[in-house]
Amino acid sequence: MTAHMFKDSRFSRRTFVTGIAAAGLLAMVGCSSKSKEAVDISSQNVGYMEGYTADMQFKASEPLDLSLLWTDWPDTPVKDSWEIFKEIKERTNVNLSLTHIPFSDAKEKRSLLISAGDAPSIIPLVYTGEEEAFVSSGAVLPLSDYSDLMPNFQKYVKEWDLEEMIENLRQSDGKYYMMPGLQEVSVPVFSLVLRKDVFQEVGGGIPNTWDELRAALVKIKAKYPDSYPLADGFEGQSLLNYAARAFGTQAGWGFGNGMMWDEAAGKLKYAATSNEYKEMVTFFHGLVKDGLVDTESLTAADAGGGNATVSEKFAKNQIFAASGSTNTAIEYSTALDKTLGAGKHQVGLVPPPGGPAGDTVEPRNFWHGFMISSKAKDASNFQALLQFLDWFYYNPDARELLRWGVEGKHYTKAADGTITLKDEYSLKARNLNLNAKIDLEIDLGFATFPSESTESRKLKESYSTPEDVEYIDAVLSSRTPLAPAPPAPLEEAELEQASLASTPLKDTVETNTLKFILGQRDLGEWDKFVSELEGQGLASYVDLMNSARERFAAKS
Amino acid sequence: MVMQSERAQSAKPRRGSKARNSRDSAGYRVFTWLNSTILVILCLIMLYPFVTVLAQSFSSPGAIKAGLVSFWPVDFNIDTYIAVANNGMFWRNYGNTVVYTVVATIIAMILTTSFAYVLSKEHLRGRKVLIGIAIFTMFFNGGIVPNYVLISSLGMKNTMWALVIPGAISVFNLLVMKSFFENLPKDLEEAAQIDGLSWFGIFGRIVLPLSKAVIATMVLFYSVAFWNDWFAAFLYLDKSELFPVTLFLRNLLAGASSAATEGAAASGSTASALSANIQSVTMILTVLPILFVYPFVQRHFVSGIMLGSVKG
Repeated sequence: MTAHMFKDSRFSRRTFVTGIAAAGLLAMVGCSSKSKEAVDISSQNVGYMEGYTADMQFKASEPLDLSLLWTDWPDTPVKDSWEIFKEIKERTNVNLSLTHIPFSDAKEKRSLLISAGDAPSIIPLVYTGEEEAFVSSGAVLPLSDYSDLMPNFQKYVKEWDLEEMIENLRQSDGKYYMMPGLQEVSVPVFSLVLRKDVFQEVGGGIPNTWDELRAALVKIKAKYPDSYPLADGFEGQSLLNYAARAFGTQAGWGFGNGMMWDEAAGKLKYAATSNEYKEMVTFFHGLVKDGLVDTESLTAADAGGGNATVSEKFAKNQIFAASGSTNTAIEYSTALDKTLGAGKHQVGLVPPPGGPAGDTVEPRNFWHGFMISSKAKDASNFQALLQFLDWFYYNPDARELLRWGVEGKHYTKAADGTITLKDEYSLKARNLNLNAKIDLEIDLGFATFPSESTESRKLKESYSTPEDVEYIDAVLSSRTPLAPAPPAPLEEAELEQASLASTPLKDTVETNTLKFILGQRDLGEWDKFVSELEGQGLASYVDLMNSARERFAAKS
Repeated sequence: MVMQSERAQSAKPRRGSKARNSRDSAGYRVFTWLNSTILVILCLIMLYPFVTVLAQSFSSPGAIKAGLVSFWPVDFNIDTYIAVANNGMFWRNYGNTVVYTVVATIIAMILTTSFAYVLSKEHLRGRKVLIGIAIFTMFFNGGIVPNYVLISSLGMKNTMWALVIPGAISVFNLLVMKSFFENLPKDLEEAAQIDGLSWFGIFGRIVLPLSKAVIATMVLFYSVAFWNDWFAAFLYLDKSELFPVTLFLRNLLAGASSAATEGAAASGSTASALSANIQSVTMILTVLPILFVYPFVQRHFVSGIMLGSVKG
């Protein structure tokens, strides 16, 4: 029956990942004691570069071969012949050998490789939180033990004021197991995409708060009675995510484990039972009641299909505001070109509206970073591996190389730092030099995912469209990022307990949030909803998280 | 007598024509109409998604995004077909799929028919144990990670064998074949035995030629399963030039849509949405071969699957 099992497309992704994680735990249990030993890697110095410091070109003292996991995007299929790998080899003496994983199931394959002990040394494209599953098994290395070998990392964490956020990466043993991509500036990627022209003409300007947005939506609805002007193509998750910040709570994509810091009480509280959460739900229910929300988009369950439908309705003047990124805005704009004609509309991303909690947006964020597979620790070139990764991920020249290629060959740099792509090269993903024959990304391998992770503000602006830069400036000048939630790392046994408790709680919250908003459940039943959560063991879960928080605070 | 018989003869067709009349009756006609209408509607419902994908594959991405494409292509063009046809990796993966499917089906057919034939012999000692072992694997397996470790320590990782060997015997197909062989007349085999044929001779020269229908069905079952399989390749292959086209397609489809749902995390520029018509074109090109095989095998398919079902 093996063949049948393999082709069963209904195979639950969650079961699969849990299964892999559990099996990995068993398989790697023997290694867990290793990570706690004292660190002495001074003898593993093959290829080690003497005197390596921040902002310096790394070059291994002898040729090295390092293995790297590579996520293969369908629109930029990786080629081993890409110039980027040659250039890296030339500059650093490091040859990267790749293991390809298809983007569609990258996370599952990565878990499998790590659990089976078969992963390459360098595991990139790791978002914060994703490392937790591998910590207790000892399959990945505690990178905090080695940060003193990474001068660029230390320099930019300090320079960009990210020290507190790095502290938050620590697990219950006080170590962190991934090094993130550092962002000098961090703004919410997803916010409101508006039909700016309609909002200006009909809605009375670009709304700055949720109440202003509501007023504008009412006016638009009056002019276009068939429309449901506000939508979210991501099952409501994106909309609630940024809206919750303005209401002083967390929801949707940003709900996380549900815990948030209660400044007044000095401890963690559960977001969904707070008054702020109720206030937010009531606000959105009001919008739904007045026919201002495209409710279909909130419940579109087909993966990704929801946003495609929103794009269609955007094009037909049935939706005028929806969640999205700058890419989504371009997508809507293309769809509108088809129906209204180019130049007859204006679509753009605006900062998330403010609310009762002020003009607050989500906390600053890291971008994806890397983990190191624990078998690399015994390799003779371990020190050089760390130096290479420090250069690759955090050195400004390396970042520019990954993003733009070789200066003088692929791009030129003006005295003020402005970067211009040479005419012979295109960058289709950014609509640059579309007529050139060679694409910087598809043909040469620059500007692919590793280029995203660490970025100075200047580098970010070098490739952003004027609209992007405008959005970034608008958010930075008019919105305040929240302070990151204080860490409450759990121990191995607690992790399971917590996920057993938090998953059904989160399910209840998500289902009922939507029901309240859509009016399928009366808001008068709010107290009943809270007691339902309590019946699911909310109190003991909150206690567990608070005790973890106190333990961690006492330790550090 | 003559008159009587004539009357009798003339009466017969009359009764017959009466029966025909009842078939032509209003009620029957309504039934036929309803029947065909419902079947046509059902047929259209099933065809609609396919036709839409076909129409999309000839349309411009902008028109698809704006939701203008349903039955007919909008902004007809074959640029995307040309673009996909020029994609080296697509054809490479396509070629892989053809090779994997052919090799896997041959191996699977050899193993399944010979195993099923052995199991169909009631005088075989330990027959029940062998069947039990096969059936056991229908319900229990080692799990993904142990399987993965096994395959990679056998040295099959990043080779075709990882896709071809583990799925070579589908127990369902095995049991269908076994019951088919059990229903072949024993006398035939006995006669062949008396004429001096060995067991291999009987199997190769008597049994197999009599089993064309079930073999055609099994070839279809196996080849469709291997053609569509992406999961084994996803697990055991680490180089994109070894991937089958289904994995290429999955990456194209699931990749683009999970970029949207997991947008919170992975909203980077590289996750830019692939144009919808590239997806359609790839889908069409991938299903075409199997689509063409079906009509030719269908005749055997219907008779083959029925053969095992009545025991007699």
